[in-house]
Amino acid sequence: MEQIIANGLYLGAQYALIALGLTLIFSLMNVLNFAHGQMYVFGGFVTYTVVVQLGLPFIVGLFASAIVLAIMGAAIEKFLFAPVVRRSKRDESTMLLAAGVAFFLDAVILLFFGEKQRGVPKIVNGVFNWDMRIIMPYDRILIGVLAILLIVVFIAFMNYSKTGRAMRALAQDKMAAQLMGVNVARYSMIGFALGAMLAGLVGGLLVTITGVNLGMGGPTSIKAFLMIMIGGAGVISGAIAGGFILGMMESVGLTVLSAYGDITYLVIFATLMIFLAVRPQGLMGKPWG
Amino acid sequence: MTKILSVENIELYYDHIYALKGVSIDVDEGETVALIGANGAGKSSILRAITGLRPVKSGQILYEGQKLNGTSASEIVRRGISMVPEGRRAFPLMSVKDNLLMGAFTRTDKAEIEQTLENVLTRFPRLRERYHQQASTMSGGEQQMMVIGRALMARPKLLLLDEPSLGIAPKLVQDIARAIVAISRDEKVSILLVEQNSRMALSISNRAYALSTGSIALSGNSKDLMNDDRIKAAYLGGEI
Ligand SMILES: Nc1ncnc2c1ncn2[C@@H]1O[C@H](COP(=O)(O)OP(=O)(O)O)[C@@H](O)[C@H]1O
Ligand SMILES: [Mg+2]
Repeated sequence: MEQIIANGLYLGAQYALIALGLTLIFSLMNVLNFAHGQMYVFGGFVTYTVVVQLGLPFIVGLFASAIVLAIMGAAIEKFLFAPVVRRSKRDESTMLLAAGVAFFLDAVILLFFGEKQRGVPKIVNGVFNWDMRIIMPYDRILIGVLAILLIVVFIAFMNYSKTGRAMRALAQDKMAAQLMGVNVARYSMIGFALGAMLAGLVGGLLVTITGVNLGMGGPTSIKAFLMIMIGGAGVISGAIAGGFILGMMESVGLTVLSAYGDITYLVIFATLMIFLAVRPQGLMGKPWG
Repeated sequence: MTKILSVENIELYYDHIYALKGVSIDVDEGETVALIGANGAGKSSILRAITGLRPVKSGQILYEGQKLNGTSASEIVRRGISMVPEGRRAFPLMSVKDNLLMGAFTRTDKAEIEQTLENVLTRFPRLRERYHQQASTMSGGEQQMMVIGRALMARPKLLLLDEPSLGIAPKLVQDIARAIVAISRDEKVSILLVEQNSRMALSISNRAYALSTGSIALSGNSKDLMNDDRIKAAYLGGEI
């Protein structure tokens, strides 16, 4: 039991971070970023390159992932999404663009990093063992704690910094935000960069545990969408709830259902469909807050 | 007196349908000017043109003697024009505090922002009581006070108010009218007040313009307009 909860929390923290980035982008620009999973994979490969190829410390790799993905997110917003949002009134336009970006990033990853699974050597050794009730390698604990720390920092940033406040304002009422002097183009770009940065950071964190490979992008995007559908799109609390709920469900599934074969996600999808039929806006469905 | 704002012969279109066909308006420094007219006359469109939310097709807008046309909405706020939009447009999920702080978004003078915040909270004591409350949970009147306070947080030189009495309980309309008079008296600010409640607008303004389907039908001293038969017939009939 304790083991299931510990695993769920560990997974949930990573998931929540991914969902936060996705929901931030959605709430600011009404863009469903189908390339979010690819951004996560890209972040993992950046950390891998810095740590394994260049031999630099893990923390440097993590910073590099954050910076590279922030710049990539800003560029993708400025040169691709912003012009499309400006010219097209139809939501499908940005959806198609996002799907295109996902394929493009897959190709870029293949080109630069290849199709092999890549990992980073353990950053700490040893295993935590609490009376055989919770057994968890120290590196997982460290990564889990880092993820939770990042969530806390992100929430504090959104709630208490001037930039965070401006992004919330933009998400809640674009016209009113403009009247306050918020430059919509600039803050959309900052929001997109921040969302991509979060995806990259999770990639950098998880490459030390599970490694990354080219094929993970799509499935990760799907999981991220599951999370914000569970929690309610465009809401901070919803993304966090969705992340931890999915993490917990996976953890339970892998322990309890593994006896029946690989049916965890089948059960999760079935549950989610019923849930969304009853509550289509998700748990906390309302505009960004 | 020096003009702070001069709107010269502007035309504004939505797609191919005109909303304004050659409108001119002046606001002098320190003055309160009312803009009255029926629903759909184009009052909000004038404010959208001034704040840069909507481009004009022709004509020009001079603010402090300089052309505003083509300046972005966020830059216009920095120059000292604040607007309280129609329908209030509070940030619904933010606290009163965060709504007010958003008003000071363009400012960097931390200590003086605190001072302005204190002034606003003193002017609208209800906002102090509700300081940490989420905006969407407040009444329409309270939200209106809040968004007026939010606009004041920018310390504007020109304040544009778009129908502050809209959807407000009649008892509170008086409070809002008083607040506008007090702001005009205490702050170094010129006010352009858009209203469908013509009686209220004329009673608290120095001058007024009456707009009718995209052009100015009448203008003059507010006191004179209040007794003008054409105004009485068109804009004052039936209202309290
Ligand atoms: N976003 C818009 N798209 C198309 N037409 C609009 C839009 N906003 C206003 N209009 C039209 O422009 C005219 C003037 O509108 P507006 O300036 O809002 O009037 P008022 O504020 O006096 O009620 C109206 O006929 C209105 O229907
Ligand atoms: Mg209007």
